[in-house]
Amino acid sequence: MNGEAELSLLLDVLYADGPPAAAAESALANLRAEVQRWQPQLWYGSLPESPVGSLLVAVSALGVVAVEFGANEARFVERLRQAFGVQPHRSGDRADAAVRQLEEYVAGKRNTFDLPVDLGGCTDFQRKVLEAATAVPRGRLATYGEIAARIGAPRAARAVGQALARNPVPIIVPCHRVVAADGSLTGYSGGAGVETKAQLLRLEGAAIR
Amino acid sequence: MPAQNHKPEFAELVDAHARELHAFLWRLLRDQNESEDCLQSAFLKAFRAYDRMPAGANYRAWLYKIASNEARTQLRRRAGVPIGLDDDLRAPAATVEDQAERRLRLREVAKAIERLPYKQRAALVLSKYQDLSYAEIGEILGTSPEAARANAYQALRKLRGLFREAGAGQVTDQHRARFEEGVR
Repeated sequence: MNGEAELSLLLDVLYADGPPAAAAESALANLRAEVQRWQPQLWYGSLPESPVGSLLVAVSALGVVAVEFGANEARFVERLRQAFGVQPHRSGDRADAAVRQLEEYVAGKRNTFDLPVDLGGCTDFQRKVLEAATAVPRGRLATYGEIAARIGAPRAARAVGQALARNPVPIIVPCHRVVAADGSLTGYSGGAGVETKAQLLRLEGAAIR
Repeated sequence: MPAQNHKPEFAELVDAHARELHAFLWRLLRDQNESEDCLQSAFLKAFRAYDRMPAGANYRAWLYKIASNEARTQLRRRAGVPIGLDDDLRAPAATVEDQAERRLRLREVAKAIERLPYKQRAALVLSKYQDLSYAEIGEILGTSPEAARANAYQALRKLRGLFREAGAGQVTDQHRARFEEGVR
């Protein structure tokens, strides 16, 4: 091999591949988190019709921050503005992935969500509860007491119930899979309440009473 | 196509250009932490100056320029510290001996790149691996397109010199000695 060709080959070894994929992904995620800190931003989109009614979705640069049942955009925007202190913008592009995945999910065409969730607006306790609820697989149920035990607070079943009632991202964080100790579908704050909870669980093939 | 006077949200600049800029910084610095730090500080500087940017500007070149300045500062900061090559970095070679020989050469090329003036080093990476035109490289490095081309050319000429001295594909004792002195 002549010098020219060897130099070219060695330069390619040093440079052609660029950074390892994992390093590139993590650098990008960390940068997005920083930018969200410098300039909090929210975008939202809507799913006007679905088997569980209209849905509104808001995302930050880090992930989904809110899912709401209903079609009242003005009220949704005002609630977001108060909770996050920024004016949300309607953006098909930004909210598209979340809207599309929700649409597929409630139509029974998708089993799990492949979306980052931004729980930055939650307390530590609520975040733990929501993460534990996310770990309940599709088609299965957990009780409030079981979630409480899983987060190391076995006597906090009632607080778990309250944290789940304030779940900012229902459906995506499946608080509907958490039921009372006797298996009954106690409260659900979204859509038509307990009926929507039952509808989501039937969709997932869970055995409900 | 965006309108002529469109000014994107800052977060859109991150979506559009951060990956490419990270690759550029990584190529110049070859260090995961340093390239990520430079990426963040470049975007922070851009964020602070973004209000003053006119709509329809060439944001990509502007971001490259800021990132390039960050890399240059970082390289100056670490001057004299020898480059680290990943152990798994392999040049394809037919035999184990060739492989060892190649690796030695690889280190030598890497060291020679370290000794290049910044503009030559950056022009080489930008033209050969970031697919930028000399007009764009000139804008990023604050030179004319002709000077950008000359910088990339000078970089390659110096690196070629390494091989001419040694003869085609041969590593001489002189090279070994220089290499060993270099890595200490």
